[in-house]
Amino acid sequence: MNGLRRYQWLMGILLVAFLLTGCETGHEFVKKTEFKDDDKIVVTFAGPVEEAWATDLSNFSAYEKPDPDIKLQIKDATLSSDQTTLILTFEAPLNQGEPHILSMTDIMSEGQNLGPATVTAKKLYFGILMTIFLGAALVQNFVFTKYLGLCVFFGTSQRRGTAIGMGVVFTIVMVFAAMMAWALYQFVLKPYQLTFLNIVVFIGLVSLSVQGVDTILRKVNPALFKAFGVYLVLVIANCIAIAVPLMLADNEYNGWESLMLAAGAGLGFLLALFLMACVRERLELGNVPPTFRGLPIAFVTAGLFALAFLGFSGLSIY
Amino acid sequence: MDPVLIKIALGGVATLACIGLFFGIGLAMAAQKFHVEPDPKVEEVLHTLAGAQ
Repeated sequence: MNGLRRYQWLMGILLVAFLLTGCETGHEFVKKTEFKDDDKIVVTFAGPVEEAWATDLSNFSAYEKPDPDIKLQIKDATLSSDQTTLILTFEAPLNQGEPHILSMTDIMSEGQNLGPATVTAKKLYFGILMTIFLGAALVQNFVFTKYLGLCVFFGTSQRRGTAIGMGVVFTIVMVFAAMMAWALYQFVLKPYQLTFLNIVVFIGLVSLSVQGVDTILRKVNPALFKAFGVYLVLVIANCIAIAVPLMLADNEYNGWESLMLAAGAGLGFLLALFLMACVRERLELGNVPPTFRGLPIAFVTAGLFALAFLGFSGLSIY
Repeated sequence: MDPVLIKIALGGVATLACIGLFFGIGLAMAAQKFHVEPDPKVEEVLHTLAGAQ
């Protein structure tokens, strides 16, 4: 029984991983399109293609997905000896954070014309998701680099216990609200051309999700409610909770990306609160000049943290 | 005024009203389903205490 359950879990994880990483191409003859090095795109075909077609640069054109007008200059096209792998080298290094669209005119294979193809080269989807997550949590931490949510940040970072409670509650509500905001934006606001009402709708959504979590938690888990109930109301007054829905609407994120952005924002806020609370607990024991006691020294500390978080700005793992 | 704009404005009012109604009813139902009887003792104790804070 136990073994079977573990097996099911494994299959589930594999299925999700498959869905996340599954690559799609626009043409049945093109098996794979991927980035290589800084300035190369590698196209793998299902069968051999003709060398004369493959090495003619005028057969190919490529652009970054957001800028279809700016064609990228292709320097060189090399076909492998088995004629199934084509390596396109570009003049300039590619910005691999964006998907690239590669169009090919009629593919010639063993004398047959297989028609034109438009394929997309992009990084593994998982990598994009992780980039969004880490970006929201560390590189563009909402508190330390965007200076959002400061009122709640300074209000609840005096004790470590309070800080963790606030961070956890905020993360839960944030994910909840962001998913609703994404669905509402994509399926209601955009189709009805009401995107100018973004802010009004999102403010309502945040308060709604706070009220919903409050009502449900009170009944389902009274112990947790007793511990975290106080912070729930504070989430409404937090500007990160409104910034995240606006950002995901601006960037046209899909569901998974919105989830990652919200989780990253929540965990980043939790991290910021926890770090700050650790320092402020120690500051109370320190010999702080009277003028600086309390909030002023907290602001100075936050500034130092912000400087330290600048160190993450070059971070790129994927 | 441009009839398209009027259409969007009226549509916006209708859509937001629908969203509000939908979530309002949802919250009301959740409040009913997850209703918790408040303990009368809490109120009494709070009343007896000085309650400056």
